[in-house]
Amino acid sequence: MSIPQKLSLKPVGLAVPAFAILLAVFGIPMIRLFLTSLDAPAFSLANYEAFFRQGANVRVLFQTIEVSLVVTAICVIIGYPTAYLMASAPKNLRTALIVLVVIPYLTSLLVRTYAWIVILGDRGMVNNVLLELGLISSPLPLIYNRMAVYVGMVQIMLPLMILPLVTVMVSIDRSLVAAARSMGAQPSAAFWRVFFPLSLPGVRSGSLLVFVLCLGFYITPAALGGLRDAMLSTFIAAQVETSFNMARTATSAFILLGIAAVMLAIFGLDLAGTQGRAVRPMPESSWKPVRLLSAIKRFSNELAASYRAKRWNAKLYQASNIRRRTIARAVFVVSVMLFLLLPSVVVVIMSFSAGEFLTFPPPGISLKWYRSFFDDPSWTGAALTSVEIGVAVTILSTIVGTLAAYGLNRTSPKLRSILTLLLLAPITLPSIVVGISAYLGLLSFGLIGTKTGIALTHSLGAIAYVVVIVSATLASFDRRLEQAAMSMRAGPLQTFKRVTLPLIRPGIMGGALFAFLHSFDEVVKTSLVSGLSIRTLPLKMWENIRHEIDPTIAAVASLLVLLPVLWLAAIYVTWWRSRPSAEHALPDAAA
Amino acid sequence: MSVLVDRRRLTQGGASALVIGALDSITGRALAVSSDELRVMVNGGDVGKANIEAYTKPFQAATGIKVSALTDQLTLAKLELMVTTNSVSVDVFPMSQGSALVAAEKGLLEPIDYSIYKKEELDGLFDFAKQPFGVGMVIFSYLMVYNTEKFPANQPRPTNWADFWDVKKFPGVRALVSGRNGGEGPWEEALLADGVAPDKIYPMDIDHIFASLDKIKPHIRKWWTVGSEIQQIMQDKAADLVQSYSGRAGLAVSRGAPMELNRNQSKLQWDYWVIPKGSPNAQKAQKFIEFATRAERQAALSQLFPEGPANRNAFKLLEEKVARKLPTHPEYLASAVPINMGWYSERGADGLTNTERLRERWNEWILR
Repeated sequence: MSIPQKLSLKPVGLAVPAFAILLAVFGIPMIRLFLTSLDAPAFSLANYEAFFRQGANVRVLFQTIEVSLVVTAICVIIGYPTAYLMASAPKNLRTALIVLVVIPYLTSLLVRTYAWIVILGDRGMVNNVLLELGLISSPLPLIYNRMAVYVGMVQIMLPLMILPLVTVMVSIDRSLVAAARSMGAQPSAAFWRVFFPLSLPGVRSGSLLVFVLCLGFYITPAALGGLRDAMLSTFIAAQVETSFNMARTATSAFILLGIAAVMLAIFGLDLAGTQGRAVRPMPESSWKPVRLLSAIKRFSNELAASYRAKRWNAKLYQASNIRRRTIARAVFVVSVMLFLLLPSVVVVIMSFSAGEFLTFPPPGISLKWYRSFFDDPSWTGAALTSVEIGVAVTILSTIVGTLAAYGLNRTSPKLRSILTLLLLAPITLPSIVVGISAYLGLLSFGLIGTKTGIALTHSLGAIAYVVVIVSATLASFDRRLEQAAMSMRAGPLQTFKRVTLPLIRPGIMGGALFAFLHSFDEVVKTSLVSGLSIRTLPLKMWENIRHEIDPTIAAVASLLVLLPVLWLAAIYVTWWRSRPSAEHALPDAAA
Repeated sequence: MSVLVDRRRLTQGGASALVIGALDSITGRALAVSSDELRVMVNGGDVGKANIEAYTKPFQAATGIKVSALTDQLTLAKLELMVTTNSVSVDVFPMSQGSALVAAEKGLLEPIDYSIYKKEELDGLFDFAKQPFGVGMVIFSYLMVYNTEKFPANQPRPTNWADFWDVKKFPGVRALVSGRNGGEGPWEEALLADGVAPDKIYPMDIDHIFASLDKIKPHIRKWWTVGSEIQQIMQDKAADLVQSYSGRAGLAVSRGAPMELNRNQSKLQWDYWVIPKGSPNAQKAQKFIEFATRAERQAALSQLFPEGPANRNAFKLLEEKVARKLPTHPEYLASAVPINMGWYSERGADGLTNTERLRERWNEWILR
């Protein structure tokens, strides 16, 4: 009895480091801000009343929820099949596709938004081509409307949907689907009744991340949307810029957090809540669409089942069918990748411009903007600083976040929900509010204007990413494997190292990646806590983009894109080189 | 996600009780960096480079005081955080008129010592440039810019804001500045368009402003929020008739955009050099500002970057060709409307400033 008890006590303890960082850097000042929004010590709801008394605030709140929900839905609809196909691809292709999905993240958010203007603008790529071809006589309104907002936001958010989905799907045992098919289940039934339920943790994690992040969006809606396409954060930012009334700002921020909490409660905050699923038999009651019709359908299905079971094996290798399906799948994946990569590609092309400002197509080709980057120590220095901070953030938040996810996975659902919401707060709240909290938090440790301070601030958000993505993998993790290891006398640490860790590695890698990228693209919080003495690459880019549209920005953005591509190419070359023996063996055998 | 704050964002609003009460317990640790080095913020990009050449380098050469130029900008929120937590890490920085008024009202700025200024320099500075909390740094304007291919010289061209509002007489794609911050917006232009005389604009009638904006709302393709946006629109020839910052418009024209600047009814706005309360080198900072507002230095800046000097004597040192590119050229001043931020920061009976009132009204208006 004592061993299980010990185990049930331990897990939450694993989340302690994460919460220690959260509390020290962000939590305590945040509580102060909350009290400020309540007019402490007098305590009144006056600020909240004032917020809701303004019709515009309420309307923009609904609009913010609407936009976030639509973006999340589009991301699921596009992301799920993409992730499914990626997960079923061979390992090397999958790695390449994952890199392609992540690449857009390396292009700063600002630069990508800018690229969409170049693509969709009234004098942008698409309109210019159509005008040139004579298909239209005046530019189509592709930009400054809600549609453009969705295009821009989905492009930014899609990787965050795909990645958790892929990590979960990869860990689903495909033989379960094959088993269902072999027993006569139709492909769709095998998918919906076996694969889909197992992939739900990924859908939840992805939707959660996307939705929560969308709530705080406003640069993309402001740049690509029309006059009415404002988000609550637009209002908050305007408020901070002009009068900086802390109580009011905090009030709006907490309302946003409240909305996130409500939505999460409805759609299932319980990220890791399905780990028992594999053990439990599928409850029949969860599968009850239109009763009568489905009963008839099911009956006829049952009759045909044994026939299908026999044919399954033969069908599996029908070439023509497979080829057609493969082409359709390839076309789908390629179009999703093109959509994701288009802005980055445009930026890369513009970076080689010989002109003085960003235009597409560029008036000539030159490397002068790369030279302007490498010749300027303020650029290269900033890049180095960013890498340093990024690596520190990745190490810290991956370890701390994985521990927290592991710990949360083993606690009671109720506690888990609350703790998860707290961990997600830094990415739900508008950056400016998190930045102010972090400033106040770091100040008491004397860490303003230090790299440590910036790294801690970035870790707030990075931990949230790691927890969400790792939780998704843990949810589909079969705990009986651990029990088996333990029953064979493996200690908890050994079990974790030899059984759990290897199995959840994809989730950890995904989390680490996003932790790094989060740090690498952060501007608002960094600008506040850098104390004007540390320059990161995004800060430098931001300064540049506000004042001029200089192609150096594009060169920097392109370097960030090209480096991982080159890295990928290098990996492939080494992989290719290590294969010749096997490659040669085959033709020889055929001959 | 980041806050896109333009340097030109006018900021205005009410005194907020920033948690000072809630903060003081953790402000025990003073973080202010005291060193011999004078830390001067100069804004980024081309403007930053020009400021370094015209101000910080010559100041160091003339006084021997070592200057570290920070190519960055400071927002009101950051200033308030630094000052209230006693962690000021900059000695001098440029601040927009609106923000500076709010900051001064909140007591975040050091008073300027005018006793160290020479009389002729003081006389040269515009009156509005000599405030207790700051000295005029640079003057720029919001003006109307039109496409010369759409409106060639032999045909009628738009000359005032009433023309801009007249979509029948001057058809074309239009862009106006967004009013989302309250402190910055097409407010004065809306009144001018509806026939209000330039000297009767203030105090502004907010209902009147929005009644006028109602008429132009369906015809505006883009309500821009940052300078790089409008610059892009001009460079791409994506609009025929726009409102722009003078500097951005000048830049677009110099890069070959077929645009013409209409100086009539331009709206003047300016930035101040200010010293944050608790600056570690306040005395040297005072010296720096005095140096940087001399006519000779301001003329040097105007030659590097087409922004207007706050010291009128600078025009005596400039060639007419250069002077004509500046928004404060005496000829343009005659028909220009200087923005009256004093009105913006006036507080009504409900405790709201006019800036806040404009912002709330704008929020209602855009969602309608």
